Amino acid sequence: MIIPIRCFSCGKPIAQHWEEFSERSKNGEDKKKIMDDLGLERYCCRALFLGHVDLIDDASKFKKF
Amino acid sequence: MDIKLISNEEKKNRITFSVSGIDIAYANTLRRIMGFEVPVMAIDEVEFRKNSSILYDELFAHRLGLIPLTTDLKAYTMTSECKCGGAGCASCTVKFTLKAAGPCTVYTADLKSKDPDIKPIANKIPIVKLLEDQEVELEATATLGKGKDHSKYCPGLIFYRIPDQDKDEFIFTVESWGQLTPKEIVIKAIDLYNSQLEEFSELVKKLE
Repeated sequence: MIIPIRCFSCGKPIAQHWEEFSERSKNGEDKKKIMDDLGLERYCCRALFLGHVDLIDDASKFKKF
Repeated sequence: MDIKLISNEEKKNRITFSVSGIDIAYANTLRRIMGFEVPVMAIDEVEFRKNSSILYDELFAHRLGLIPLTTDLKAYTMTSECKCGGAGCASCTVKFTLKAAGPCTVYTADLKSKDPDIKPIANKIPIVKLLEDQEVELEATATLGKGKDHSKYCPGLIFYRIPDQDKDEFIFTVESWGQLTPKEIVIKAIDLYNSQLEEFSELVKKLE
């Protein structure tokens, strides 16, 4: 849906890096390098970024209730 | 007891130090107090006036709760120990307001705090995305809390390693999530441990 505020496993706040990550990876930069730059060291935080699909733009169009 | 600072990475908000001459029980007590007893600020109660965003109220409130807030331990006390008796006053709670109308992305920068010292650690944390005609308006209350009650109150990731099983040396790593500096976490943990031991010895004296 939307990027989680914190990493599920270790609790590190990661959401502030998501927009830079998605912007830079859209421009074709190596994802490993971006995550190293952003300070995501543990594989729990890295997995969240690699696996995340931002579906909120699609989901918002539909009624909530 | 011998304490040595191994590294202080300010950019990563992390310190590493070695403590030798203590036993495992003491090392583990220190770790647990640093991780789960040092209080930090987090949003605890949210009152929604309007929410037509795609996130349900409870999911929205949960996201708000997880936002780390810079904490001033000298200016605030735990609500349970406050002189207001748990009702919530200006020395144990901080009010936040959020008002936004779409189309936009709502960031933590839009969260307005009553106290300029207590604010989100980053301005660019996306809270929700709003489309045309969607709006949110809410009032939130942040309190001090402990990591053992909810992991949103955890000050950071704390662990120790034992490099040599035959020696009593422990290498602690304290990584802060930004509410407090790693140094503040260690100092506050030791203060808390001292006051807990004092309380314990008082109770034992009463038994005699």
